[in-house]
Amino acid sequence: MLQDWKNYQPLLIPNIPNLHRMDVYEKNGGYEQLKKVLTDSEYSPEKVTNIVKDANIRGRGGAGFSAGLKWSFMPKPDGGPRYIAANGDESEPGTFKDRQIFEYNPHLFIEGAIIAGYAMSITAVYVYIRGEYRDWINMMQKAVDDAYAKGYLGKNILGTDFSIDMYVHSGAGAYICGEESSLMESLEGKRGYPRVKPPFPAQKGLWGRPTTINNIETLANVPLVIKNGSAWYKAIGAETHPGPVLYGISGHINKPGIYEYPTGMLVSDLINEVCGGVRGGKKVKALIPGGSSTPPLRGDQLEGVRMDADSLRTAGSMMGTAGMLILDEDTDMVDFLWRVSLFYHHESCGQCTPCRDGTGFLEKTLIKIKNGEGEMRDLDLLLDLCTQMEGRTICALADAAAWPVRYTVTRFREDFEKRVKNTVYALA
Amino acid sequence: MAEIFIDNVRYEFEGKPLVLQFMLDNGLDHPFFCYHPSLSIPANCRQCYVEAGTPVFNRETNSYELDESGERVIRFFPKLMTACSLEASDGMVIKTHRTSELVKRAHKDTLEFILVNHPLDCPICDQAGECPLQIQTYKYGPEGSRFEHKKVHKPKRIKLGPRVILDAERCINCTRCVRFTDEISKSHQLTIISRGDKNYPATAPGMEFDDAYSLNTVDICPVGALTSADFRFKARVWEMNQTPGVDVTNGKGCNIDVWTRDNLVLRITPRYNAKVNDHWMPDFGREDYRRMNENRISRPEVNLDGDKIKSSWNNAELTFTEAIEDVNPSEILVIGSAFSSLEDNYAISAYFNRLGVNDVYFTPHIEAGSGDGFLISDDHYPNTNGCRALGFNEVSAAELKSKITDKSVKAIISLEDDLIGRGVINAGDLKGKFFAYFGSNNNETSKAADLVVPITCSVETISSYINVDGILQRTVPAKETIYTDRKLNLEMSLGRLDRYGTKFDNWVSDSNKVDCIPTWEFLERISRNQNSSLGFNESGDVFEAISSNIESLLGIDYNKIDELQGVQLEISSNKTEV
Ligand SMILES: Cc1cc2nc3c(=O)[nH]c(=O)nc-3n(C[C@H](O)[C@H](O)[C@H](O)COP(=O)(O)O)c2cc1C
Ligand code: SF4
Ligand code: SF4
Ligand code: FES
Repeated sequence: MLQDWKNYQPLLIPNIPNLHRMDVYEKNGGYEQLKKVLTDSEYSPEKVTNIVKDANIRGRGGAGFSAGLKWSFMPKPDGGPRYIAANGDESEPGTFKDRQIFEYNPHLFIEGAIIAGYAMSITAVYVYIRGEYRDWINMMQKAVDDAYAKGYLGKNILGTDFSIDMYVHSGAGAYICGEESSLMESLEGKRGYPRVKPPFPAQKGLWGRPTTINNIETLANVPLVIKNGSAWYKAIGAETHPGPVLYGISGHINKPGIYEYPTGMLVSDLINEVCGGVRGGKKVKALIPGGSSTPPLRGDQLEGVRMDADSLRTAGSMMGTAGMLILDEDTDMVDFLWRVSLFYHHESCGQCTPCRDGTGFLEKTLIKIKNGEGEMRDLDLLLDLCTQMEGRTICALADAAAWPVRYTVTRFREDFEKRVKNTVYALA
Repeated sequence: MAEIFIDNVRYEFEGKPLVLQFMLDNGLDHPFFCYHPSLSIPANCRQCYVEAGTPVFNRETNSYELDESGERVIRFFPKLMTACSLEASDGMVIKTHRTSELVKRAHKDTLEFILVNHPLDCPICDQAGECPLQIQTYKYGPEGSRFEHKKVHKPKRIKLGPRVILDAERCINCTRCVRFTDEISKSHQLTIISRGDKNYPATAPGMEFDDAYSLNTVDICPVGALTSADFRFKARVWEMNQTPGVDVTNGKGCNIDVWTRDNLVLRITPRYNAKVNDHWMPDFGREDYRRMNENRISRPEVNLDGDKIKSSWNNAELTFTEAIEDVNPSEILVIGSAFSSLEDNYAISAYFNRLGVNDVYFTPHIEAGSGDGFLISDDHYPNTNGCRALGFNEVSAAELKSKITDKSVKAIISLEDDLIGRGVINAGDLKGKFFAYFGSNNNETSKAADLVVPITCSVETISSYINVDGILQRTVPAKETIYTDRKLNLEMSLGRLDRYGTKFDNWVSDSNKVDCIPTWEFLERISRNQNSSLGFNESGDVFEAISSNIESLLGIDYNKIDELQGVQLEISSNKTEV
């Protein structure tokens, strides 16, 4: 499969003009999978969940957790409301893929979300979209309205006794509201503070009811799996992390953008073949593979590295959101890291101590180094602070803030050593 | 019984206790900030870390897996756990800072972060001396600071409401104050605004934090971020003596601590009592300290041709005796008070019973709908049930007025209750009658009296009350009169100053002592003048007489009240004012 990526035909965002329109989507087989699932008695909710589980769609929101497995955590329906919160908050720097779905293939996501809703006996889907995406929120709203008009949403869909609602909800400019539990708080109209787990969302989610949170792209994969089966899906891309992926590639490259390919693509192919190489023919200094929180990899250690969970873990990073940032050899990693740190300092919700005050401590220490005031001991301090933050907080933002620091300082130490003062301490 | 191993020591437990609370209950010190036993658990301060593990259970053999040396195999959680949110489970193993370097380090680490943006202005901070952050930093904090940058600056001296002032820089964002208004007082007046290290609590724009319980946030704030507008900068906590008491501003009888210095009450804070008020009390109860210090009746007063003049105790005793001897028992009206203690009420009824006056009347001060169903009762007085228990005649305001104005009544004895001030009678109603008033504070009624006997208030002598729910509670003296000596009064010497103070911080001043005595003491003196002691040498004697004569209080003594933190009584009548 991997070899002929050049002949790969996009599945999530196929090259069909005006696919965002209901008529075009329907003409191209749209909502057929929903019809199949709802009307073919062979497709019980359990069966749909099992197909998705077997296909091993791994979450595209960052953590890479199996979607089908997550669905299976939902308790048995008890007649009360149950929710899906579809996560389109998309605020991690370097990530801009869900936006493509909103713009070019919203109905694929909607269809996937309804099928997921059927599988988990959901009563309502909330589509939480980052507030800055004003245009895309409007596009999604239009698509949802069209789906209601066609009877794919609402009461007794396609004459069956399955009913589901879908609401488009705008975020208000906080990265933390992309974290699933704080997304729920935000939907409930509260301050975006992540919740302490347990209880997990499947037990106690939105308004205390069973809830599943999935990324937009994750749900957009569902109709593909239902249409072609799990075996077909698993054969796409990397074995343990299959399926099509929207690679969002940015940075110092000639043709940045969103590219759909299977998982497991060679990083070098994506940079050189797909994106036309590094700007000005320079060398790659660093790759941040999946959004700013994933540990940066050195450009001289990218050979053979592929974009899937296993390969990236071996290389010392993570797949994240597949939002790839490429930095060329002229990049000053101190400046880069400071800017990343500033982001997390700005976005910490402030609930837990290590994150609230650790992110600021990191950023201020980096400013000091950036301004040439730093000392060698500050590098150790940075690493120490990371240890004090990692794994000690309510949500993963503190880890997301600490990892880039830990791995930039250790993997690009020469840049930092160059910047710090050569203070010599006399031993008394 | 289920077992848990904390630092290699085995403890037994029932139910599903939270590990932090369980450790505290078992006397194991552990640092924490955001956790409060009466609030929800946000686990946000990340101070209470422990290492936690559970034994590996083998379902096939139905037993715990053992290692080579026969010890249970323990599977530890991969991350440090917050003890406040961790439920104990059977066989759980906990390592704290006592046995784990990792935990010890984590406690230091969190404190380092908390202090990064904390102003460290303890010398000018009101919380110093009773500050969990200060105490825990001493015990668990890092030695120095590695933070060489500018701290985040935030607003200071913000008047959140009429009674609470915020210094946002000192706030450690534990959210206790916010949770209090959400979960306890339910006013929802506070929230945290902004993000990250710019976080701090605030009200909605244009709104005031005027919650009737707002000052409780000052108590639970673990730092000096929230201070009381009234109390701030008045005294250092180590200069004050802390004595247990009971709030007498309404019928609930919230348990309080009375903080005194130089015989002035400087503040009142709630004292935990699960049966009565949990950790809380209403704001107005705290303001009652003024009544204890100010506008006090000191030395007896007699009416001489329309002028109130101070008199000696001798003269007061004589005046009283003569006035009573002048009239028939049937011409005497004795009015008890739901404001006064059981001891005062009983003493007055015992004295007059002996003279043949069998009925004592009282008029409750209940205003239907004025309470909130929480800690503010419709009843404005602390001891309505006490008067009922003593068998006093409960009459309406109108009934009492007609009794007072009855031509046959020639002498009226009234225990502290501002009958004129609260509109039951007016001064004219007392014309032509001898009116003796036993009270602690000057008011409209004392002004109208022919004889004013200054009596101790609830913080100057032992005073017992039966609250609206029938719980019998008592106070101990917190403040000296000119006749008491704190050094000789064991019950007074239980305060903070005596327990922790040095020989240098004893009270130095004799000022602020009021010239007053308990009601029973006055009546005892008079009785002795007439060679017929009532047998009252101390409050305990009065209470003993009560508990041997009043059926519902049979067998109860002060020790029992203390042991049980208030004795629940059966309350029969619940007559309200007409
Ligand atoms: C600080 C933080 C921010 C996050 N932001 C997003 C986001 O913008 N979009 C998203 O899909 N997931 C985000 N996540 C991950 C979500 O918590 C959650 O794992 C994901 O939405 C689950 O969907 P998936 O399993 O389909 O990937 C974020 C996580 C953290 C800790
Ligand atoms: S880790 Fe940071 S963002 Fe997450 S809950 Fe804690 S303070 Fe908020
Ligand atoms: S003001 Fe005090 S109680 Fe409120 S959040 Fe800050 S530290 Fe906690
Ligand atoms: S007490 Fe704050 S996290 Fe446990």
